[in-house]
Amino acid sequence: MNPTFHLPTPPGAGGRVAHDALEARFGRRLAARLTEGSEALPHDISERLRFAREQALERARASAVPPAVPAAAAGPSRGGGGTGFWWRLASVLPGIMLVAGLVLIEMQHDDEVTRTAADIDAALLSDDLPPTAYTDPGFAEYLKDSGS
Amino acid sequence: MASDKELSDFLKGVEKRAFKRTVYAVRDDDAALDIVQDSMIRLADKYADRPAAELPLLFQRILSNATMDWFRRQKVRNAVVRNFSDFESSDPDEDFDLLEALEAAARPAAAEGAEHSVARAQILTAIEAEVARLPDRQREAFLLRYWEELDVAETAQAMGCSEGSVKTHCSRAVHSLARALKAKGVQP
Repeated sequence: MNPTFHLPTPPGAGGRVAHDALEARFGRRLAARLTEGSEALPHDISERLRFAREQALERARASAVPPAVPAAAAGPSRGGGGTGFWWRLASVLPGIMLVAGLVLIEMQHDDEVTRTAADIDAALLSDDLPPTAYTDPGFAEYLKDSGS
Repeated sequence: MASDKELSDFLKGVEKRAFKRTVYAVRDDDAALDIVQDSMIRLADKYADRPAAELPLLFQRILSNATMDWFRRQKVRNAVVRNFSDFESSDPDEDFDLLEALEAAARPAAAEGAEHSVARAQILTAIEAEVARLPDRQREAFLLRYWEELDVAETAQAMGCSEGSVKTHCSRAVHSLARALKAKGVQP
């Protein structure tokens, strides 16, 4: 005879349910025993667990508090724009001023170049010597000789 | 969102079971305390804003992950894999009547006691030893299902496996425990 280990096969769905219920009852009974055992942990372990719990709770409290915004950093808050608008304006203002300054310098430079060119043209046109004389090679040679 | 008191009560209620469960897995009190503390802090740090009803499942998941991380750090992956594979061969106790053992063990408490000379503490020690001896996945499923009182779906979610696997693990664990305790003459 070769005895075999097997769970007696339930005759049907009802048997299966009863079998599961039996397993669950057994499991819960063992769990109840384990609970009794876990309640009687050594004092030092209970204390370390309590310390760990308190640390975790401190973390939870710290993460629950929103970061404080200093009143001075809030900036002027007037009308419908609110603090955000003024902060954005204050942050882009230096950039705007820099670009405006560069444009102004560029315009002044252009004006200066134009004015210098106009002065030269005016001097040439008002001179007794016609401007075309400067394109004459003989006159250029004369200027070179007299200069040296 | 769980209030401070709800979180505190939850942690207080679960901490000892969490510690024991972790000790079963890592077999080291100090390591188990570190893992439980780490899990509590992770829960409080990241999930304190979740409703109180979600905390048990989240915590079990975090604890399982923290335990696995510990095993990884200890470089005992091979041992974990071995313990986690629950493919069991033929049973050694071939003539053992499981149903009889289960029925005997599940009788009401009034039926126990007088005829048993084993002290309560010894019974507990025997039960804890047998629980610790279970393969990891079986033990995890058994403890989550019956000790943490999660349902099958929640246990499956916490363990990252199917509900069918949970049922199989739980059933095997109960059978193994019933068989081992009967062999020791222990009636829980």
